[in-house]
Parts: sequence; C-alpha cells; structure tokens
Amino acid sequence: MSEVSLQGDTVYEFERLPLEPVATGTNLLVTGPTLGGTRELLLRLLLGDDAVLVITADTSARETLADYERVGGEGPSERVRVVDCSQDDDADLGEFVSAVGSPGDLTGIGIEYAGQYESVYARGYDTARTGIYTLTPLLVYNDDVRPVFRFVNTVTSRIRTADGLGVCAIDPDAHEDRVLGSIAQSFDGRVEVRDTDDGVEIRVRGLPDQPREWTAVPALR
Amino acid sequence: MVCADADDERRSATVTALESAGFDVLAASSVSAVEAALDDDVDCVVTAFRFPDGDGFDVVGTVRDRRPDCACVFFTSASPSELPRGGRDQIVEYVPQSVPDARDRLVDVVEGATAEATQAAYPLPENETERLAAVRAYDVAELSAEATFERLTALMTTHFDIDVAFVGLVDEHEERFVACTGANWRTLAREDSICTHTILTDEEMVVEDTHEDPRFAEVDRLDELNIRSYAGARITDEEGNALGAVCCIDDEPRSYTRAELDDLRRFADEVEEQLLLRRRLGGGGE
Repeated sequence: MSEVSLQGDTVYEFERLPLEPVATGTNLLVTGPTLGGTRELLLRLLLGDDAVLVITADTSARETLADYERVGGEGPSERVRVVDCSQDDDADLGEFVSAVGSPGDLTGIGIEYAGQYESVYARGYDTARTGIYTLTPLLVYNDDVRPVFRFVNTVTSRIRTADGLGVCAIDPDAHEDRVLGSIAQSFDGRVEVRDTDDGVEIRVRGLPDQPREWTAVPALR
Repeated sequence: MVCADADDERRSATVTALESAGFDVLAASSVSAVEAALDDDVDCVVTAFRFPDGDGFDVVGTVRDRRPDCACVFFTSASPSELPRGGRDQIVEYVPQSVPDARDRLVDVVEGATAEATQAAYPLPENETERLAAVRAYDVAELSAEATFERLTALMTTHFDIDVAFVGLVDEHEERFVACTGANWRTLAREDSICTHTILTDEEMVVEDTHEDPRFAEVDRLDELNIRSYAGARITDEEGNALGAVCCIDDEPRSYTRAELDDLRRFADEVEEQLLLRRRLGGGGE
C-alpha cells in the first residue's frame, strides 16, 4: 500500500526512493535540469495505489504515460489521468486524457485538471497524487508572472485541502532566482535534483525528517 | 459569498446547500446582478456558466476587477470541453454538476477556496493567518504614530534623494500606506504591490528597475504610479510576523549601496520600535 497509517496520520509513501513518507496535503517543488533525472524522479513520486493526475507541458501525454508505465505505473484508466498542454499533436487518447491548446492557457489547464480531479473523486478515490511536468513552459508562455502565481496557488490549495500530494517540477536554470524563490513559496518543501558521474542525487529543503545532504537515488541509475 | 445561476430552481438548491454549510450567501441571476452584489465582504463567487447578459468568464472578469483576490468557482453542467475559452489568466475552480452529490463536492471546494487566499495572484507567506492577525492588532491611527512616521518618510526622501518614501502595512487584500511622503497613495492591491514580495524575506528587497524584473515588468499599475525603482525593508512584530515594509521609490532606475540599505534597515527598525512601544503604552487595540 502506498498509503499507510503512521502514528494515526495518513501519509504518502515513496517506494524505492530515499524519501520518508509525507503528510497528506503536502506540495513538493522538484527542481533540477530538464534532461536529468528530474522527470523520472517525478514519475516515481507518483507511484502508489492512489489516483494519479499528471499535467504535462514538456512532453506529450502519450510519451508521459509510456514513461510512467516504464517506471512501474499503470496506463490511462479511471485512476490515471493526464492533462496535456504540450502542443504535441497526440491522437485522441480517450476520456482519461484532456488536451489544452497551449501551456499559456492557465484557465483551460486549471479547469481540465479540476474536471479530471472530480472524475477520480467521483469514482471513489479520495487520495490523489498530482504531478506537474514542468512549470517552466507555463512561465515561459506567460509574460506576466501573476497569473502563474494564481494558477499555482489554486492547484496547490486544492491538493492541500483535498488531502492530496502535489509534485511540481521546474527547471531552475530557466528562470531567475527571484522568480523561482517566489514560486517556491506555494510549496511545503523543495526536492533538489542533480546529475553526477555516480548517478542522480537528491536533497530536501523545508520538510522535517528528509535527507538534507545530497543522497544517491539508486532506482534512477 | 455570491451564488449566481440564471435558473431559479438550480440556484435555489445551490444557495440552500451553501447556507446549510454555514455560508452567508447572496443570490444573483445575471452578470450584472453579481456586480451589484459584490461588496468588500465577498470572498467567494460560485457561478453557473450561461446568463442572459454574458457567461461565467464575464462574471470572473467583473469580480476580479473589483476584488482581485476573490475566489471564483464554476458550478456548471457543462464539461470542460464544452466551455469556451476565457482569458488565459481567468483561473477558477471548477465543479461539474454531473458528479454524484455535486453540491456536497461544491461545499468542499468552496470551504477549501475560502480558507485562505487560494486564488491570489501573488506568493503568500507560510504563516499568513497568524500574520494577518498580527497586522490587525496594530491600529496605527489609534497608536497616534502617523505623525512620527510622516517625519521619518520625509527624512528618508531627503536622505536617499528619492521621489517617494512610505510605511506600508500589508493587509489581507491590499497594502495600506500609513505614512507616505512624495505621493498621495492610500492603498494598492497586493498583486500589484512589490511589498507583497518584501514581506517574504528578512533581507532588504531591491528592485533596481521594475521593467527588468520579470515579477514586475508587466504590472501596469507600477508604471501608472511612476514606480521604476524600489528598496524595501520589512517590519515585523516581536513574534516575527511580517506587518509590512518601509520603502524607497524613485521614477528612475537606481541601485542602492550596502550602506544605504543598512540605513534603510535603521529606518525600518525605528518604525518597528515605535509600533511596539506605542502598543505597550496601551494605545492600540489587541
């Protein structure tokens, strides 16, 4: 089970990753290079028996789902759903995948995401893991950063109040530190990712009982 | 909150569900009725999509013009793909009426959306609820601190050779200028205010050129107020809650030396101490 009772509290667990369970309602910002282990780490953070909702802006829904299955996840289903704003012209993947025309259309992404969330909830899943890969195109397509704050606040708030788990990736090298710092404000903790000669390493800021020093992630190598 | 639906029966059922959950609800049957119902106490608008005089996105536009932080929730039988695209930045919550126990779900989402400023277009401090309580504990008018702060901001404009200096308190929805030399500003929406970012950090915040900073380059209101450069130091209470900031403004890009920022910090320390001492003397309400 991905979800267990630990001292009476419900938590989200992460199999095969050097991370301790986190409380429901937690939002994590994952920062790392787009081409590094960031993407696989994010997909692995979504593994479990909960519902899974992915907002994908960098790669198509088809590619995202294929990669998710490769790390051990399930294909599109009542439980696994995708909002695709990558602008890759995927064929219709059915009701479990929604398409939004552009990563700049934050209104459309927000409504499609809420619609998919309500659908899994209506099917009886009361815990859901949400992955956003990545926030970078959403920022690049919006000259004004304020709507992105509104979008991030809206999504993280839904996750927090619905006892979900949020995992949102961003490429720190694509944005100024001051923008990244302001965006990070909406998240409970930050998982930093780096690629080294010995493999992918992570460290965590802002959450107790998590690795603060660079820690190898054997599952990603 | 406001609940808008052109269909009398549906609206009535939704209003009843929201009232049963403890909300004070104003009913509206059109976009113009929503506009008429908006007042300073409204912090959430639940809206259907189709109205005789517009659609749900017109409602969002009307609401956000008046109340930028107000949470908006679409409650409609239309599926996402059936909704025309609104403005790309008209972000809302959405609950389809087609899900089982839709009004219970609506209540859940509304409760979440009204718990804090969840659709705010700016970053929020972690301890926002405690912070707001701390701000409310300082009634500057009652503390008779305005004249003192006006003297300080007048000194600041001379000392730093700048257009405007102010002491601002960051309230729930807007920044309130309690003393301001060089301009006649009263309030500024939080999403337009640089101090919204200053209160997040204990370091002095400097924006040498608003046009070159991606956080502020698109904020037209700053240009309207001739705010081109900014330096601010936050002020906190004894528990560390950020109340607001003491700030320097100029209509030209400019930088600040470390020594100038140390001076700015001293001005901010003075404001903090004045607030604290005056509250201890019993001038302000708890």
